[in-house]
Amino acid sequence: MTWSDYLPVWPLAVSPALWLALTLVVAVLISELMVRHLRWPRIVGYIGIGILLGPGGLSLIPELPAAEWRLVVDLALGILLFELGNRVNLRWLKANPWIAATSLLEATATFVAVFALLVSFGFTGAAAAIVATIVIATSPAIVVRMVTESRAQGQVTDRLMLMTALNCIYAVIFHKLAVAVMHGETGAEFIHTVLPPLYLLGGSALLAWLFGITFERIHHYLGQHEETFSFVLFGMIAFATIMASTLKLSPILVLLAAGLITRYRRQRSRAFPPHFGSAGAVLVVLMFIATGLAADLGGLRDNFLLVLLLIAVRAAAKLLTVLALANYSGIGLRQAISLGVALTPMSSVALLLTLDTGTVFPGFASGLGLALMSCIVILELVSPFLVQAALRKAGETSERKT
Amino acid sequence: MSLMPFASSRPLTLGVELELQLLSCNDYNLVSSAPDILRRLAKSSHPGEIKPEMTRSMIEINTSVQYEYAVLVEELRALREVVTEAGRFLDVAIAGGGTHPFQHWSEQKIFDAPRFHYLSELYGYLAKQFTIFGQHVHIGCPGPDEALHLMHMLSRYIPHFIALSASSPFVQGHDTGFASARLNSVFSFPLSGRAPFVLRWEEFEQFFSKMTGTGVVESMKDFYWDIRPKPEFGTIEVRVCDTPLTVEIAAAIACYIQSMSRYIMVEQRTAPEEDDYLVYTFNRFQACRFGLDGIFVDPRTHERRSIREDITHMLARISDHARELHASEALERIREILIVGNGTSWLRQTYAREHNLGDVMQLQAELWMGN
Repeated sequence: MTWSDYLPVWPLAVSPALWLALTLVVAVLISELMVRHLRWPRIVGYIGIGILLGPGGLSLIPELPAAEWRLVVDLALGILLFELGNRVNLRWLKANPWIAATSLLEATATFVAVFALLVSFGFTGAAAAIVATIVIATSPAIVVRMVTESRAQGQVTDRLMLMTALNCIYAVIFHKLAVAVMHGETGAEFIHTVLPPLYLLGGSALLAWLFGITFERIHHYLGQHEETFSFVLFGMIAFATIMASTLKLSPILVLLAAGLITRYRRQRSRAFPPHFGSAGAVLVVLMFIATGLAADLGGLRDNFLLVLLLIAVRAAAKLLTVLALANYSGIGLRQAISLGVALTPMSSVALLLTLDTGTVFPGFASGLGLALMSCIVILELVSPFLVQAALRKAGETSERKT
Repeated sequence: MSLMPFASSRPLTLGVELELQLLSCNDYNLVSSAPDILRRLAKSSHPGEIKPEMTRSMIEINTSVQYEYAVLVEELRALREVVTEAGRFLDVAIAGGGTHPFQHWSEQKIFDAPRFHYLSELYGYLAKQFTIFGQHVHIGCPGPDEALHLMHMLSRYIPHFIALSASSPFVQGHDTGFASARLNSVFSFPLSGRAPFVLRWEEFEQFFSKMTGTGVVESMKDFYWDIRPKPEFGTIEVRVCDTPLTVEIAAAIACYIQSMSRYIMVEQRTAPEEDDYLVYTFNRFQACRFGLDGIFVDPRTHERRSIREDITHMLARISDHARELHASEALERIREILIVGNGTSWLRQTYAREHNLGDVMQLQAELWMGN
């Protein structure tokens, strides 16, 4: 027997998972300090630590295989999307069609403004269209997390969640359409331009519907046992996410639609714990750290002006359309400004759509995709403050100190 | 500051005020949407008045001056319609009931108006705990002395009104065991209880100026009495009722009080005595705690019977007066309550069936909004 049989060999061979575990601890501790002393949103800490320690920053954490991260992000995002869908009342659109109008106008204006900006910068129509569809989406992750954290409730909060759910749906569908059009440009048949969005929509809706029915059944039997129920739910979300990817459907669309359908079919309201329990909350924190680790500011230096303009034009389009229809939809000026500003976040949904586009068109990933990544990183860090301020100004956060 | 003179009003006219709960359609907790609802309603035309209340999760609807049950119900229904419509537009549910079963008082926000901020500062957490929902009924009186007479005579029947309207068994997530737990919150205010036993308006004015002289009160609004005179309207205001679960019950209770007032003014004609109040707090407690099954002690004969029995006796005595006032249908509804139970029984039965206070609140809102 030698020393090395029972003592570790120097230098230590540590698995990357150790760094991840350490990052989790550090990120949570630093975020708590920031909340206590600066009253900053926690997410900023999670994402910020990810950026700081990740490959884009100090490189303390070696790059993990993308597939492993993708599973964490997909699962946590799935939880947040399902949660968002569950808190959105689609029947409201019927009672107040002006909200539907605001949502459609907001998405259209965002698309048109960003498309025009990119074309004026000399990008091709197809590439501009892809980016313009991606930026329609408000980040469900940041919105749900901020609403949960500030325990906000009221008109702005409800509308923010409804409009976020809707514009994510638009973004995913039209992104698929734009990608198909880009394929058309590179010489595919007409049928292959039309079918993808239809398959995506139909397939996702079917999967979401099945998920919704199963969820209700299981909730009926296990709803009283919160912990058991949340484990089953995570299993279902993971299953649906992987199934959606296998069938080349959109996991984003499937989970969001599943939430919306479950809520729509349900007779009684149900309040679930945030992120369906503490296991969900851990995954959500990991997801924000992971988005920080994946942050890539490489495109910022070359496209500084474009990135800033992209953020400004997108934010302006959202704010102005909300302001334009505020009076008809029944909110005051202050609430409209809050809502418009709170629609700014961009994070994981946009990130995943950008990465997906990059795998199909490598040229996109190294060009316009890089600029878009920079936008996402900047907004991930800035927009939690905007949402926090907006919900506070609207008077919808809890007056009790957290 | 002296008390304003007592305006004369047509005897036995009626006015009803209902404080209503605003609820989020997501979890049926209270939601601070009063400013949104009021902004929406500012554009619509409706009878009566719709006003803000202490915290931003309540609004108050007031009818105009009415005389007959049928018209009163119509006006309350019209008010319910506009408020419900505004609620649907904003995804806010609206409900009756005296308390919210699981709201947390510390999460309530004070409505942005000087008086509410002043009260909030004065009473501290009591102001937020005052997120309770009551029905107030005004009865027109020909003159101030008649008003004081009616006020003291009606005091004997306060347990009737409490037991019939009771709809607040749940507070902060628990069944309190009370039929009307709402009144327990009212009792914690320093100037709650009953008006002093004075029968002439000059004496009442003297009492009022002595009170203002101490600096404890500024106006009649600072008295949280169970019944108080409202000189500017020429009415007395019965304030012990929980907001019932439907506007129809609210109207029926209002007209029950109206018919009883006619009985007191026209037929009974006996003078109130200070000793009538010896059993007052006992009877009131019984009504709050046990509702219609509570014990009622007659202040004059010292007989004991259940509040339900005492109401049955009263219904027989006032039925002619109700006919004169076209309020017989209202008394029918009161009889119904004696058989099927008050709001509190409905809430307890619903909870026993649903096992979830959120579901109870949702059904309560659906009942009130009429769908």
